[in-house]
Amino acid sequence: MKALVFSEFPETAAQMVTYLRKLGEADAATLSSKADALKEYGAGKVYALNGQMQSDNVSAFLAETYKSGGYDYIFVASTILGREVAGAVSQSLDVDITSEIVEFQPGQGNVHTKRNFLGGKTVLEEESESRVFTFAPGIVDAEKAGSASEVASVELKPSAVTVASVEEKQTSGVNLEKAKIIVSIGRGVGKKENIAQVEPLVKAVNGELAGSRPVCLDYQWLSDERQVGISGKKVRPNVYIAVGISGQIQHIAGMRGSKIVVALNKDKTAPIFDESDYGIVGDLFQIVPKLVQALGA
Amino acid sequence: MVDIVVLIKQMPDLEQVKPDPTTGEPQLKNVPLKLENLSENSVEEAVRLKEKYGGKVTAVIFGNEQSSAIMKKAYAMGADEGYIITGFKGNNPSLTAKVLGEKIKALKHDIVILGNQSADSISGLLGGKIASYLGIPLLGNANSIEVDGSTVKVKRALEENNQVIQANFPVVVSVTQEINEPRLPPVMQIMQAGRKPINTEAATITGREVRIISNKAPKSERKKIIFEDVDKGIAEVAKVLKEEMR
Ligand SMILES: Cc1cc2nc3c(=O)[nH]c(=O)nc-3n(C[C@H](O)[C@H](O)[C@H](O)COP(=O)(O)OP(=O)(O)OC[C@H]3O[C@@H](n4cnc5c(N)ncnc54)[C@H](O)[C@@H]3O)c2cc1C
Ligand SMILES: Nc1ncnc2c1ncn2[C@@H]1O[C@H](COP(=O)(O)O)[C@@H](O)[C@H]1O
Repeated sequence: MKALVFSEFPETAAQMVTYLRKLGEADAATLSSKADALKEYGAGKVYALNGQMQSDNVSAFLAETYKSGGYDYIFVASTILGREVAGAVSQSLDVDITSEIVEFQPGQGNVHTKRNFLGGKTVLEEESESRVFTFAPGIVDAEKAGSASEVASVELKPSAVTVASVEEKQTSGVNLEKAKIIVSIGRGVGKKENIAQVEPLVKAVNGELAGSRPVCLDYQWLSDERQVGISGKKVRPNVYIAVGISGQIQHIAGMRGSKIVVALNKDKTAPIFDESDYGIVGDLFQIVPKLVQALGA
Repeated sequence: MVDIVVLIKQMPDLEQVKPDPTTGEPQLKNVPLKLENLSENSVEEAVRLKEKYGGKVTAVIFGNEQSSAIMKKAYAMGADEGYIITGFKGNNPSLTAKVLGEKIKALKHDIVILGNQSADSISGLLGGKIASYLGIPLLGNANSIEVDGSTVKVKRALEENNQVIQANFPVVVSVTQEINEPRLPPVMQIMQAGRKPINTEAATITGREVRIISNKAPKSERKKIIFEDVDKGIAEVAKVLKEEMR
């Protein structure tokens, strides 16, 4: 089996290469400025892409390379650009595609995959003729290999899309995937200023602060990298404390791997309680200070 | 004036889907279908653009005989015309893209609007697929859309940065959940929508087979110890946390 891997983020490309090199050979493409970070993970070749990456020009590169390089499969990390690229390349090659996979096993012609489905409620196990896959980030840890990859520099074609401006996002470098205790806030916190009332709990448990999608994306009370869920980070801490989070399936799918789940919610019918080990029904603004006090004692 | 084609899909109301306690399979029988979340954002955005710039909104579903309730919802929100293409069996994005792409070609389309990632299948592939099928640019993951003459400009939200990107008609735009808050149509509009004709046609192409081996909810083994007595709850949770912090 020979696989072609793409991610604009070298860390996720390295995860895919780590997974795939156990099944065969893999070459990987990423942004040229980040290509060096990908050299040590066991890819035969690293394609360093130069130019403004959009779905049309990256998918054109992958389609051409797939055909000329004798690859069997294309794996793309499920990121915003990645999903677009994967869709486009599967369409232009006229091959089937399976999305958001967490497991892959090649067979005779057919492939066997598992993926998240129904918003993350179920895992769907399928057999298909797919040749392109989007890979859920974070399902394996990247591991370095013995030898360094050969690096090939590639010029992307111009895109039909013009980039008028780019504004970098602020990042704090938080790594929720490695956190032991996470305090995660939802819309129930009410407003950004109220986060200050939850912070003492974060300190008391020596945890990291995270949030639901509305908190991170709609209201931007927290930065994107702190979003937990099917479209955010998949976390597996020892304790996950959900504060004012209702527990919609798309959120649950990101924290299901937690060892212990604690929920604070004023609505006793909130679905989060079905996914919790311990729950307290009540107003978070009353519970949190008391809990901090109880922890200090 | 902007001619907009908006792609919408139906899905089971996920809050009502429970796994079978013995097999773990989702029990989908008797669960009502609804307009998929991102499709709802898409209709809302299409209607807002029409209200701002003038033009027409045509909604297309690759669905089945049960899709008319979903189309009526799009009508109530302000879609002008709707097509249901029957024959959807789920699970095959390549087929979905071809069926929809074929229909879009037959319709006037300055902008094709769809969701960035649907709430049930969470695949997020259709934007790239439709753009590739039609051979037109994709302005993906839009948090806002602006039209200036025949130029479409969107704010594209990415993981590490936000971009402003643009391209000329015709374009595909995929939207995020954050782009708008979908309207609740007034009763009058819902009633009028119920009477409005829907075009229905059968899909003429089929796709390769995908064999489903299993579809199961991961087992939840949570203790579910829920305290309505706040002080008792705090005492117990504090004990658990102290244990875990050691
Ligand atoms: C394709 C797709 C992907 C998505 N991806 C994600 C994702 O990755 N992550 C994610 O989180 N969501 C995601 N969502 C959104 C998800 O469906 C929910 O809308 C979201 O998780 C709800 O966030 P919330 O729980 O903070 O808000 P709400 O659902 O509004 O819940 C707020 C909760 O706070 C409680 N509350 C209010 N006040 C108080 C108080 N004073 N004290 C205690 N409790 C209080 C309420 O009872 C309520 O249960 C996605 C949706 C889609 C369609
Ligand atoms: N069967 C369908 N018919 C019409 N539009 C669809 C269909 N499936 C998906 N879409 C649109 O494509 C978006 C993304 O879907 P997906 O690529 O499946 O995640 C959805 O939010 C809809 O706008």
